[in-house]
Amino acid sequence: MSAEKRDKEEEVKTDDGSPKIKPRPIVQLGIFLISHSPVFSVVFSAAGVLALLLLPLLAKNTYISENALMPGSARSMLSHRDVSDGSKLVKDIKNFRSNHEGQGVEVQRLIGKYMSEMGAEVYYQKFHPEGNQFHPLHFFSGPDSYTLLGNVSCASYGVNVAGIIRAPRGDGKESIVLVTPYDSINGGEYEALSLGIASSLFSLLARVTWLSKDIIWLVADSRYGDYRPVAAWLSEYHTPSFMVSDSLKCDELNTAGSFKRAGTVAAALVLKVDGRSERFEDTLSIYAEASNGQMPNLDLFNVVNYLAVHRQGFYVRVEKVVSLLSSSWLKTVGEIFEAVGKVAHTLNPDWNFGIPAADYLEGSATLASSLYSQALGIPTGPHGAFRDYQVDAITLKVSPRFPADSKARQHDFFQRGAQLLEGTIRSVNNLLEKFHQSFFLYLLTSPSKFVSVGVYMIAFALLVAPLPMVAASLYIDGCNALTKATHNPAKNLKSWKWLDAAKQVFALHLLGFIVTLLPYFICQVPGQHSPTNRSIMWAATSSSLLLLTFVTIPSCSPFSSRLHGTNWAVLKSVTISAAFIGLCLMSIINFATAMIGALLLVPMCLMVRPIKLDLRSKRVKSLVGAFCSTVLVTIGFPVIVFAISKGLIREGGLVGLSLGGEFWTWLESLWAWKSATYLYIGMVHLPCWLLCLCILFHPS
Amino acid sequence: MKKDDGEMAEEEKKKPCRFWIWALSSVAFRLILISFAGNLNLSSRPEVSTPLTSIRRLAEGYWLKQASMSPYAGSMYHGSPLLLSLLGPLTVQRIKGQPSHLLCSLVFVVADVLSAMLLRGIGQKLQMAYGLNARLLGLLKTPRDKGILPSGDIAALVYLWNPFTIACCVGLSTSPIENLAVISALYGAVTRKVPLAAFGLVMATHLSLYPATLTIPIIFLLGYGLDAPPLKLFLQTKKVDNEDRSTSKPTTRLPFLWKTVIHFVFWLLLWSLCVLVLCALSLTKYGGLEEMFNRTYGFILSIEDLSPNIGVFWYFFAEVFDFFRSFFLIVFHVNILFMLLPLAIRLKHRPCFLAFIYLAISSILKSYPSVGDSALYLSLWALFVNELVDMKFSFFLFCGYLGISLLSPVMHNLWIWRGTGNANFYFGNAIGYACFQIVFVVESVSAMLNHDRALKKCNSNHGEVKK
Repeated sequence: MSAEKRDKEEEVKTDDGSPKIKPRPIVQLGIFLISHSPVFSVVFSAAGVLALLLLPLLAKNTYISENALMPGSARSMLSHRDVSDGSKLVKDIKNFRSNHEGQGVEVQRLIGKYMSEMGAEVYYQKFHPEGNQFHPLHFFSGPDSYTLLGNVSCASYGVNVAGIIRAPRGDGKESIVLVTPYDSINGGEYEALSLGIASSLFSLLARVTWLSKDIIWLVADSRYGDYRPVAAWLSEYHTPSFMVSDSLKCDELNTAGSFKRAGTVAAALVLKVDGRSERFEDTLSIYAEASNGQMPNLDLFNVVNYLAVHRQGFYVRVEKVVSLLSSSWLKTVGEIFEAVGKVAHTLNPDWNFGIPAADYLEGSATLASSLYSQALGIPTGPHGAFRDYQVDAITLKVSPRFPADSKARQHDFFQRGAQLLEGTIRSVNNLLEKFHQSFFLYLLTSPSKFVSVGVYMIAFALLVAPLPMVAASLYIDGCNALTKATHNPAKNLKSWKWLDAAKQVFALHLLGFIVTLLPYFICQVPGQHSPTNRSIMWAATSSSLLLLTFVTIPSCSPFSSRLHGTNWAVLKSVTISAAFIGLCLMSIINFATAMIGALLLVPMCLMVRPIKLDLRSKRVKSLVGAFCSTVLVTIGFPVIVFAISKGLIREGGLVGLSLGGEFWTWLESLWAWKSATYLYIGMVHLPCWLLCLCILFHPS
Repeated sequence: MKKDDGEMAEEEKKKPCRFWIWALSSVAFRLILISFAGNLNLSSRPEVSTPLTSIRRLAEGYWLKQASMSPYAGSMYHGSPLLLSLLGPLTVQRIKGQPSHLLCSLVFVVADVLSAMLLRGIGQKLQMAYGLNARLLGLLKTPRDKGILPSGDIAALVYLWNPFTIACCVGLSTSPIENLAVISALYGAVTRKVPLAAFGLVMATHLSLYPATLTIPIIFLLGYGLDAPPLKLFLQTKKVDNEDRSTSKPTTRLPFLWKTVIHFVFWLLLWSLCVLVLCALSLTKYGGLEEMFNRTYGFILSIEDLSPNIGVFWYFFAEVFDFFRSFFLIVFHVNILFMLLPLAIRLKHRPCFLAFIYLAISSILKSYPSVGDSALYLSLWALFVNELVDMKFSFFLFCGYLGISLLSPVMHNLWIWRGTGNANFYFGNAIGYACFQIVFVVESVSAMLNHDRALKKCNSNHGEVKK
């Protein structure tokens, strides 16, 4: 990345290189690229989009990179007794719940009793279901920063149960965590089945001799969502707070001081059972995306996928965007690629890159979903909480093919589920060090295919490559124009002409920063407000701030007189540089966001020109250009992007204020999950959009 | 754009006022940030606090000393014992309801403001010298310094508003004090206050060793005077004038003021003696001066702490085999020394600029660099805005510095917190930073030399016209 950047920025160097010395080849290349920047920017952008479309073709089959894992090499030791233990627990819970209504803690006690009968160390943990609060300063700080112990009423708290099996061959310094979220009050029947699988497995693990890592089974109280209890448990596990929480005092269940640990967590598996499978086989959905587009190590994903497909015969699926499956344009693209692949195959039988159009469609729908959930930056399940502590974790959502009350099938289902988990745990148990062999940065195109960082970065690099080129060429043009315009040597700050434009860019980025922080203050406004009201408040304050900026710093405003305004070419050059830096930074923090952002920002930044110039020239070409830039700038506004994407996903019409409310709710979810996408929208996309608007209406 | 004199005068009057507004607002900005210091957590960033400048280590050293142990016990503290006695008591004093280390932060704010004022003083002197020289060479006709940028104000504001300086000040690293010492040495030399120059130099060297290289530019400053175009130019101009009068002999050498320099050396010795005696007194029970030299200069030179920073040494010395270590230590440190002499010869007519170049080079090749060092040389660079107006790649360098300084925390986060990156990510960033710094230094020097060449050209044209 950086090498490329430097290579591209080389052009800036050449702008006023002394003519006496013959430039070096790299400089010549730079000059060549700059002088033909319009052509190259079209070529590069198109190549970037093409590379993005090609990604499903370039996906590689997954493989297990760490040899120590050896998945499926040992025979399963799960016996009928273990499985019947699990069935018994499920039956007991069911009976218990039908007899006692709403007695939350008692179910946990029952589970705890089972655990200790199997020989595990059991403890209970209370936590507060406090929501994630937005605090602007806590964005990139460590996970321990939000230990707020406010006054919490005794009425609302959850109780996690955890059991630890000490490994006979281990030293208690490493552990594997198995999480089963269970809502003891309104959980469905399917949810109890996950407890059955886990308890079958636990019963087996309590007696095996090969364990070298401790096993922790956490029954998370999912009354207040899946994520929160796991996050609370992890926070207590890693960063214990020594202040006595209020909730400890207010119940019969005394949990103080009983928290037990089992060393660093090597991996974690979250097991959920829900709904009936639509297919003939039992379905296993794997969720891997954690916060800010982080993924667990690909090896963990592969082990589960391998065992589920080749040993237990599950139908494994990952999320995909269903609406894309029926899109005709994508199908056409797939058919074209298929045809090209066939032609290539006839030319040289070694070229086997073509895949059937149906596979392509499937792959791109999965890829789109993978990109979307990474870009959103919101974890897709409780496994996300583990990633904050550098623990690799995935959520396995199993859908059985039988109805929940069918006893006959249940036994078989438990056995297969527990065997899958046993195999996975056995593989992880073999590890000597943490997962490091395989990829952390990848996109999935199917459960057994992935695109690694080295491949998908190409698409992004091609897409943003025109930015420095165009910036350099505009910089040269703008500087030449400025030199002609001013004759006063004092005003002619030869190489510092960009300072005025930089001031304007900086002012608008600062504005973007303030706008990003505003929701924090709006949330502090007393009284209950609907999201729509809050969004109106936000829009009103932001736009008044914008007006204020334009009034106080006249050079920023697009409506200023010609004297004050900066040269638009230099302004555009600085804007493009800022967008380039922002996109490159974001591509390292969260690639998917940067990719989607680049698709929106790059054409907008490249196309935008002062509309007055185009209208004055009155040629068809420039009029089309003006129309295009207006359309692109209109589309580039974050709210409109949101509305369009909403419209694409579900065909409902969203107009006016309800849209504002929805947008607010969406943003709220982003900042509540500390998604960097929120920062990107506020601090890169919005200022760049404003600057493009300024350029569009530039009084040139 | 022509303005009448009245308007100009009005603007002249407005300027100092605007300067003070900006300076005060920077102080206010610092104070606001200090109240959020706990949340910003800048003091734990490797970019801001190094093993030498971290206030946490200083507090630890002070605590050890209070417990009647050597402050250097346990390889925690590596700074000066004098700084320990000055800042140490402030680290333990807490005002209720205020963030910890508040008093220290206030000291750093004061140090920053003082540095800015001294920079302004230096800048005003340099600006006057620039105007004078331009007039002597006949490039500037009007008596007023029209068209000359107020480099002092610019440099002071660059220092005060530089994000690096602000980060250092809020992040509680001791580099504002080191910078103050360096700047006061330069100020003393520029205004010919010899004791102050000697004191600043001794303190700066005592605090961080590398400013010792500044002895050369300071001696030049005291011996030859302020920055000026090469002597040849003046001689040429004189020749042109002399041809008319043909009286006095042209002197080919600039007088070197031996007396001032000897005066300076005397003060240098005196202040060093003072500092050493004070250090020895404060460390009598804990191993004396030998321990101090081992634990401060020895620590700097032998690069014992390999925790990541924005320099390039930690990565290299973490990889290098033990039996090559001393060899590479010598090679790396000699790098700085190699550049001293050639630069001194080439730039002897511009001692202040020479000081800037030395500081920039030592900030690249330092064993424990922090952004505070960059803040220092960047603001010194702003003293030469008049000479460096046509510096190349300014925009490219600006973008580079911006990008790298934003990228650095991201890479650190990727490596340390997320675990998806590794040390190479952060080190790659450090290499990029070093590259940009090198380009910056090279471009500044070449812009300065080009400026001199342009003067020569102008001058010869001028002479021809006169003939």
